[in-house]
Amino acid sequence: MEAILNINGLSKRYGKVKALNNLSLQINRGDIYGILGPNGSGKTTTLGILLGVLNADSGSYSWNGKAPSKYDRKNIGSLIETPNFYPYLTARQNLSIVCKVKEVDESEVDSVLSIVDLINRADSKFKTFSLGMKQRLAIASALLGNPETLVLDEPTNGLDPQGIAEIRTIILDLAKEGKTIIMASHILDEVEKTCTHVAVLKLGNLLTYGPIQSVLNNQEQIVVASENLDGLKLTLSQIDGVSNIQQVGNKLSLMLATGKDSSYLNKSLFDKGIILSEISIQKPDLEANFLELIK
Amino acid sequence: MLDLLKIEYKKLIPYSTFWVIFGLFFLFTPIVFYGFGQVKIDAFPIDFATMYKFPNVWNNITYIASWFNLLIGMLLVILICNEFSFKTYRQQVIDGHSKADFIISKILLMSSFSLLSTLYLFIIGFFFGSFSGGEAPFLTDIKYLLIYFIQSLGYMSLGLIMAVLIRSSALSIILFICSIFVESIIRLLVPDNLAQFFPMKIISNLTPFPSPGGVQVANMNGVITEAISLNTTLIIAIIYIFSFWGISYVILTKKDIN
Ligand SMILES: Nc1ncnc2c1ncn2[C@@H]1O[C@H](COP(=O)(O)OP(=O)(O)OP(=O)(O)O)[C@@H](O)[C@H]1O
Ligand SMILES: [Mg+2]
Repeated sequence: MEAILNINGLSKRYGKVKALNNLSLQINRGDIYGILGPNGSGKTTTLGILLGVLNADSGSYSWNGKAPSKYDRKNIGSLIETPNFYPYLTARQNLSIVCKVKEVDESEVDSVLSIVDLINRADSKFKTFSLGMKQRLAIASALLGNPETLVLDEPTNGLDPQGIAEIRTIILDLAKEGKTIIMASHILDEVEKTCTHVAVLKLGNLLTYGPIQSVLNNQEQIVVASENLDGLKLTLSQIDGVSNIQQVGNKLSLMLATGKDSSYLNKSLFDKGIILSEISIQKPDLEANFLELIK
Repeated sequence: MLDLLKIEYKKLIPYSTFWVIFGLFFLFTPIVFYGFGQVKIDAFPIDFATMYKFPNVWNNITYIASWFNLLIGMLLVILICNEFSFKTYRQQVIDGHSKADFIISKILLMSSFSLLSTLYLFIIGFFFGSFSGGEAPFLTDIKYLLIYFIQSLGYMSLGLIMAVLIRSSALSIILFICSIFVESIIRLLVPDNLAQFFPMKIISNLTPFPSPGGVQVANMNGVITEAISLNTTLIIAIIYIFSFWGISYVILTKKDIN
């Protein structure tokens, strides 16, 4: 795995507030890395440092193994917190300035405006846009130059449900192309639906990080019941791919390895002479897991 | 470098405040210059008979135009503060500019403003001079245009510092203007031979009060002090301008971009 970004012990304080405390993290090519945490946990601070707008108090970072420079940033598509454009310029004029800054051909402006569905408002002034349209323009701007890496801070902020779904699709499409995406969010659902990896921050501290399944424990649980609970328990432990057997009241909950499903479980038990009186799939309670994590 | 200036003009051309302020400058400089010659205020020891003639026209037109330096300085302050309030400075750093690029862009921008207004003064001066037929060839004393160029850079460079330091348009403009007055008050409290080296004093002396007796410098009380030569003033002014640019850059690198 090839590291796109290495973060080594970044810290930043604002007066008494420790916004970021000794953060270290590695992000590899092709990861969709979610940075998750409640308000004020240091997400924006982290991204601000990585994009050269905030000076860290200590620690270092490198994009593609090189010391930070403006040239890395030209190849990163970024959207940090709020869309920032000249209010008196049109969408097209604003993006054409971004093209100049990023040294990207201006012919791309129309295609990114189409992607975010703003092409028919291309010549309206930025100040006349609604919040969601401004956010869309900011995403269009991040797509200019077809960058290998995207850094998005709450990309669906202010969007309507349709907009949220569209942005999610855009992000997943980019991910399919093998791009690396770093996304800060305090919306668990957003991270869970799009990310492969996640780092959880709280009050500037890194609580945990890794592949999303292992961090958020988002595997489905299977709940089964039978007249003979003890026999069921014993038999379950002998079935290939079953783990985490736990008794919940007069039922058992368990997890299945990927590739195995409930009908496989049912059949395996039936073959061993156990008839289930109940079998159901329980969606994981991510919310609860997450709240537990940041408590 | 040229790309940076192109970006500046992409932001500027659709911006109406730019047209209003330069429009005012372009309109009022010749009007005031013309009016000054008609009113003939006695208090000004100017030779009104030759004020439009070559070579006097160059000293006179730059002196009049220098009254508008604050106006263009304010435009620059507004433009820079806009970058902070629209957060477009932040966005451009995120998108791949360095902090140095930002300062260089603004230096190029102010230089282009100075060039624009100097060229305009050249045209106006040439026009007045030609129609009143002075004896000297028009190139005599044209150095006043170069000096005016440096002076207008000087005011804008002070504006640059105020803008990067304070970041809000209204407050920066107030401080920009106040700093000039505050300096002149401080100058009253220090010995004249020191006061004449203060930055705004040096910069304002670049377009000296035109008088038949040649270059003389009057301080606030109207007392004529021993003047520093115009060439020395020019060199000191250029040193101040470079320091203003350097200080602005240092201020930017020390500060977070919020
Ligand atoms: N310019 C600033 N001055 C003072 N304190 C700041 C500044 N910027 C951020 N902070 C503080 O740093 C901490 C982290 O802020 P940050 O913006 O990184 O949080 P966040 O995780 O992005 O939160 P959110 O989910 O609300 O966007 C907060 O306590 C915040 O108050
Ligand atoms: Mg934030």
